[in-house]
Amino acid sequence: MIQALLISNAVLWVVVLALAATVLALVRQLGVLYERVAPAGALMVSAGPAVGDVAPLVRAETLAGPPRELGGPRADGRSTLLFFLSPTCPVCKELLPAVRSVAHREGAWLEVVLASDGPRAEHEAFVQRQHLEDFAYVLSAPLGVTHQVGKLPYAVLLDGAGVVRAKGLVNTREHLESLFEAMERGVASLQEYFDRPEHRIGGAEP
Amino acid sequence: MDPVVGLTLRAALALLLLVAAVHKLRDPGTFRATLGDYRLLPDAVVPAAAGLVIGVELAIATALLVLPAPGLRAAALLLATYAVAIAVNLARGRRHIDCGCGGPAARQPISGRLVARNVLLAAAACAGLAPVDPRPLVWVDALTVVAAAAALATLYATLDRMLADAPALGRVRGLA
Repeated sequence: MIQALLISNAVLWVVVLALAATVLALVRQLGVLYERVAPAGALMVSAGPAVGDVAPLVRAETLAGPPRELGGPRADGRSTLLFFLSPTCPVCKELLPAVRSVAHREGAWLEVVLASDGPRAEHEAFVQRQHLEDFAYVLSAPLGVTHQVGKLPYAVLLDGAGVVRAKGLVNTREHLESLFEAMERGVASLQEYFDRPEHRIGGAEP
Repeated sequence: MDPVVGLTLRAALALLLLVAAVHKLRDPGTFRATLGDYRLLPDAVVPAAAGLVIGVELAIATALLVLPAPGLRAAALLLATYAVAIAVNLARGRRHIDCGCGGPAARQPISGRLVARNVLLAAAACAGLAPVDPRPLVWVDALTVVAAAAALATLYATLDRMLADAPALGRVRGLA
């Protein structure tokens, strides 16, 4: 009898461990599914100049040179990516490599302009620490107010004519890429893309 | 309390701390950055403190196996310290920082649930301090301790993963 219980106990442990391992494996697969299913697009905030509108001209101080004007048609016809950041925002720091690679890869048609405001010395130290000397870096509170930047990092994509083509809160590299995707497809944001009836997930809704 | 219960508890906690220390050792740079993000220590001492935390985790994992009572007290203290560190940052509104709990592969922002988890773990360590009724141990006890510790560790990893996935699940729900 004792012998039978011992065997039964051992067998049960084997089964419990196998079950626990199976549940762990299932949960890990679920995690992968969430990643695949979740939309990865910059969250658009409705405030500020809307997509399709011409961005108002704003004169902004630059860190390295004379003041420059942002918005309006550009002489070289390139687009502008306004990337709003702050030296104290950790997510901005994490995104800098992505911004750098975008600037490098899309340099032919796009200029990346880093935008912030606040005391000059802080930004100079930040530029030095993060090696941002190659970027245009503007300091202007009115620029942030014009585009109604609430949370950072925030990005606004202007085309060569100064028209807002995409904008939104960018927390990841995918969000940043989604702005270019939105510009290419002619939709304001991923949210709008999903709201179009032909793209709606799970069929039409009332 | 039967000795097997105490042994299982100590083995499971030792395994937990060992895994935590190994994660940190495999990517010390990330752990230093995470510890710095907690903003509890001056920047200058963060690298030294990061090394110290890993050392303490390993030391307590060992102590749990050889010196039951001091090991359990130290483990409870360490886990409670983590809970306080997370709670302080939650109170400051710094909810976005990485917990640093499960290594770089399982990044998850700090939350009230993580505070509760660490408090529960600390309570479990305290429960292990209850007086033990000695009895001779036989081979089945070894099976029970090893298998139960392994099962608890797997379940812990499962729950940890579910906590880490909770924000993603929220996003998917929001889409529907």
